[in-house]
Amino acid sequence: MTAPPLIDARRVSKRFLLRHGTSAELKVKVLDRLLRRRTWVEEFWALRNLSVTIGPGESLGLVGRNGSGKSTLLKLIAGLHRPTSGQLLVQRDLRLGTMIELGVGFHGELTGRENVYLNASLYGFSRDAIAEKYPAIVDYAELGHFMDVPLKTYSSGMQMRLGFAVAAILDPDVLLIDEVFAVGDQDFQVKCIATLKAFQSAGGTLLFVSHAPSAVRALCDRACVLDRGELLFDGPTEEGLAHYERHVMTNLVAADVPSDEGDGAPVSVGSLEAGQRADPAARWSEDDLAMAWHRLRHGAHWAATGQWCADLLRREGLQPEHFVLDVGCGSLGLGRLLLPYLAQSRYWGYEPDRDLLFDGIAIELTRAGIDPVRGHFIINRTFDFTECPHRFESAIASSLFSRLPLHGVARCLAAVLPKLADGGRFFATVYEGPVDADVRRPDGPWTKTDGAPYHHDFGMLEGIAGSLGARMARVDAPAHPRGESLVVFTCD
Amino acid sequence: MALPTYIDRTTERTTLLGTWRAVFTYRALLRNLVSRDLKLKYRGSALGFLWSLINPLMMLVVYTVAFTVFLDRGGPLFVFLLLVGLLGWTFFATSMAAATGSLVDNASLTKSLHFPRAILPLASVFFNLAQFLLTAVVFVPILLLYYDVAPSTALLAFPIMLGLQAVCVAGLALTLSALTAMFRDARHLVEVGLGMLFWLTPIVYTLNDIPPMAARLVALTPVTPFIRGYQAMIIHQTMPSVDIWLTAVVYAVVATAVGARAFGRVEPRLGELL
Repeated sequence: MTAPPLIDARRVSKRFLLRHGTSAELKVKVLDRLLRRRTWVEEFWALRNLSVTIGPGESLGLVGRNGSGKSTLLKLIAGLHRPTSGQLLVQRDLRLGTMIELGVGFHGELTGRENVYLNASLYGFSRDAIAEKYPAIVDYAELGHFMDVPLKTYSSGMQMRLGFAVAAILDPDVLLIDEVFAVGDQDFQVKCIATLKAFQSAGGTLLFVSHAPSAVRALCDRACVLDRGELLFDGPTEEGLAHYERHVMTNLVAADVPSDEGDGAPVSVGSLEAGQRADPAARWSEDDLAMAWHRLRHGAHWAATGQWCADLLRREGLQPEHFVLDVGCGSLGLGRLLLPYLAQSRYWGYEPDRDLLFDGIAIELTRAGIDPVRGHFIINRTFDFTECPHRFESAIASSLFSRLPLHGVARCLAAVLPKLADGGRFFATVYEGPVDADVRRPDGPWTKTDGAPYHHDFGMLEGIAGSLGARMARVDAPAHPRGESLVVFTCD
Repeated sequence: MALPTYIDRTTERTTLLGTWRAVFTYRALLRNLVSRDLKLKYRGSALGFLWSLINPLMMLVVYTVAFTVFLDRGGPLFVFLLLVGLLGWTFFATSMAAATGSLVDNASLTKSLHFPRAILPLASVFFNLAQFLLTAVVFVPILLLYYDVAPSTALLAFPIMLGLQAVCVAGLALTLSALTAMFRDARHLVEVGLGMLFWLTPIVYTLNDIPPMAARLVALTPVTPFIRGYQAMIIHQTMPSVDIWLTAVVYAVVATAVGARAFGRVEPRLGELL
């Protein structure tokens, strides 16, 4: 029998409300009420349905980019914030040590000794307990001569040593650490890690947030990778770190695409949707935007599909100068991955949804540091590519046909195939799973040919392609995340 | 082996009893915060603690000159009444002013450590209580000697009255600190309110100096029963009347109830409000 967990998070979500155009000022609140002024509240989900359990003696590393939710998780466990939904069970009477910031409450005018007493009492220690541990703290911080001078005469390194010394002597059951020693020098970091290792071998449980893979590797036997509040990976440290590094690399490069104004004829989103771009955020209500963001965040569920598509295109000889048409690969899952390869205006995306989602994407791109109006991304709302100034070496649609009825597929093929360059190829995945002929609905029998995921007849697809002067062929490919098969359309 | 029990952070509630227990566990923190503020206030200044005496002394001089010389008012005990009134008022007013900022100004503490938040407004109350006692210990005996008042057993009730005022002030401090966390304006409102309340409290006058209608009203303002109580037992060396005791007790109880409720409601959201 395994020991019961110390901390058990069950589908924990945390929503922060970022109020725009409002404040804690009473005047503003009253005026907003009186004038019925719209103050839109931005929802920010720092954590979404996160489930994780932490058992006694475990050392768990939380990795993820800034804003991925790892610090939020730590703060929820520490009781600094309250989860919005789900259950976050923490064993009663568990002694939690938090190192979210070192030297909290340190004051420059007070001496080292006074600061130690104040700081330790913030952790809940009694005077006697502090007096008892005081020599060990001074010893650990190696600041024996400085304890009776004001803290303002300390270097920042000395202050941090003192802060860590107080926290390190705590001896809790679970230690929650948020990158506190990332700022220290090498010696300090080595010492911190040695202390934490001693804590572990004494049976302590560690929850460790860090950007530094080396520290996670040194301390943790398990790693959780978070991104945008969702748990992407939970497993052995090495695998987790590899996952994280891959994730960071693609995103770092994506943000670094050089702007190349002179290249081709950049068509901006603005030129396609003139007059609507001014301030996309201002056009929609908070509910609408919350929904759009929700939809876009779903992109995270499609990350695997996007990755699969990117891998496919690379295997098929994708070159930086190629033009790629993303006909639909699950939100922007593919687009982000392809940015490192493609200069501006070489990527076209397609998004069939309403204006709202279209604006939502523009907002989302802006947040990701990608300027939608500069033409890095061009997203089309219909299958109308006539305004597109160039032809494409590759077009790709993943899990799109299975979401469109047959006439939609026909329209898509009719729009995409003429825009292929000489030798250009249109990759598409098709669903060939079981057809549930037995499923009935109130108004008659139906099969999977009547609703998503659609199961299109192969002969029918070939026929449509043929009538557009194209050929369709199956292609062998690694397993598709959604279990679809790959076909390629080429023009004669 | 017994299965462990769990706290669910999503539904965790702080009760009055729970808060009280937590504050007791963290009493070293309370003490250290108070001593920090006292040290910071006097460290490095040449006159140190004397400043705490100079301030009421100056007010005493200003009001005495204004009322006895310029306006030709005030009886023979004017200075004594004024001093006792000022001490009781200062404890109240400085605590309110300090409590409003106690959560907001200590956001760095509340953002990274989980300790009972109520400690922060309570620490500002205790700090001002300490100031009150230190100044009272210096001034009251001097004036007792000067006015040739012999201490009697009525003085034994002083700690009880002071305790009631401290409880009342603590309840209000909890309320105001929570309110300021939600609306930053509360700070300015409190400043304005204190300015008005000063004149609605019998400090530079006594209830006998004003029309009976006004006196009945002034008797009900929040600091009045305590100041009347102090004046009765220190200056007149008599037990305060029943209506004074009753008002004081009611205010202490109501302030505590309101403070506990207001603070309990705001506490779970403090992480985001600050």
